[in-house]
Amino acid sequence: MSMETKVEDLFLQSLDGSLTREQKEWLAQQLLSDRKLKLTADQYILIREKLKREEPDSFGPFFAERIVNKIRNLKQEIDYQIFFFFRKYQVAVIGVLVALLALNIMFSDQLTFKSILGFEDQNQDSLVTIDLYQNLK
Amino acid sequence: MAVESDEELIQSTLAGNLSAFKKLVIRHEGKVAGVVRSMLGATPEAEDVGQEVFIRFYESLHKFRGDSAVSTYLTRIAINLSLNELKRRKRRFFLFAGDDEGHQVKAKDDTHDLNEMLTMEFGKLDTDFRTVATLRLVEGYSTEETAELLGIPMGTVMSRLARAQKKLKEGLSKYLNE
Repeated sequence: MSMETKVEDLFLQSLDGSLTREQKEWLAQQLLSDRKLKLTADQYILIREKLKREEPDSFGPFFAERIVNKIRNLKQEIDYQIFFFFRKYQVAVIGVLVALLALNIMFSDQLTFKSILGFEDQNQDSLVTIDLYQNLK
Repeated sequence: MAVESDEELIQSTLAGNLSAFKKLVIRHEGKVAGVVRSMLGATPEAEDVGQEVFIRFYESLHKFRGDSAVSTYLTRIAINLSLNELKRRKRRFFLFAGDDEGHQVKAKDDTHDLNEMLTMEFGKLDTDFRTVATLRLVEGYSTEETAELLGIPMGTVMSRLARAQKKLKEGLSKYLNE
């Protein structure tokens, strides 16, 4: 490794890490004694200064609004996906209900609203009455 | 009126308040834009990646524990998504030769000033070097923070930084010596 490269490496190391006191002194001495090395060091400093961001960057006006709109659309899309995912099950359930209603209509004796829904009409004679007050008398 | 903290805005967003999230975007747009545009250049894809960063953040809000600052969390997402985009570009470059891999590289001519040439040379850096240089030199993260963000040792950060700076100096030698 040439002396120039060694000084260059050590200088760059000094910018991003820490050097021992001996290294610092040796580097300072080298930069003082060699104009070319000092110029190289200055160029590195200039590059770093130019690269450093002075002001916050931006994606342009209304960026935040665009994000919020995108999220809203995304939510809607997910809602639609959930709806369409469950739609086949909804259709199946409705089909089963219609089939049950049809069966009730076919097998019921009388076409009343209750019988269609599957509620059996019970006449008063078939009801078992329990007189709860009987024992109290 | 007191300025709401990031934590408060996150809680408010989780409760369904999208305008709180909008405030978070406005607050952190600068940082994310800085990282993404430094990695990808001022290209149309940069904004797409920027949007993706915030949408990923929104989707993972419930998982955000606050172990790191929001800006650090967003920077990490921005770096990862930018690297993915660079990989995509590389694939496109191989498929359609002629499309450049880095920033919009223009032909060298004497009319370009140092800033423009620096942007151009920065875009030519290898992805690893560019990532480290973006965080350390452009965004001003410390060497330690850069290492932590990228999950690499500090020694690697320093060696990549040194190589990146040497490449930049080489590329700019004509302009620096003027």
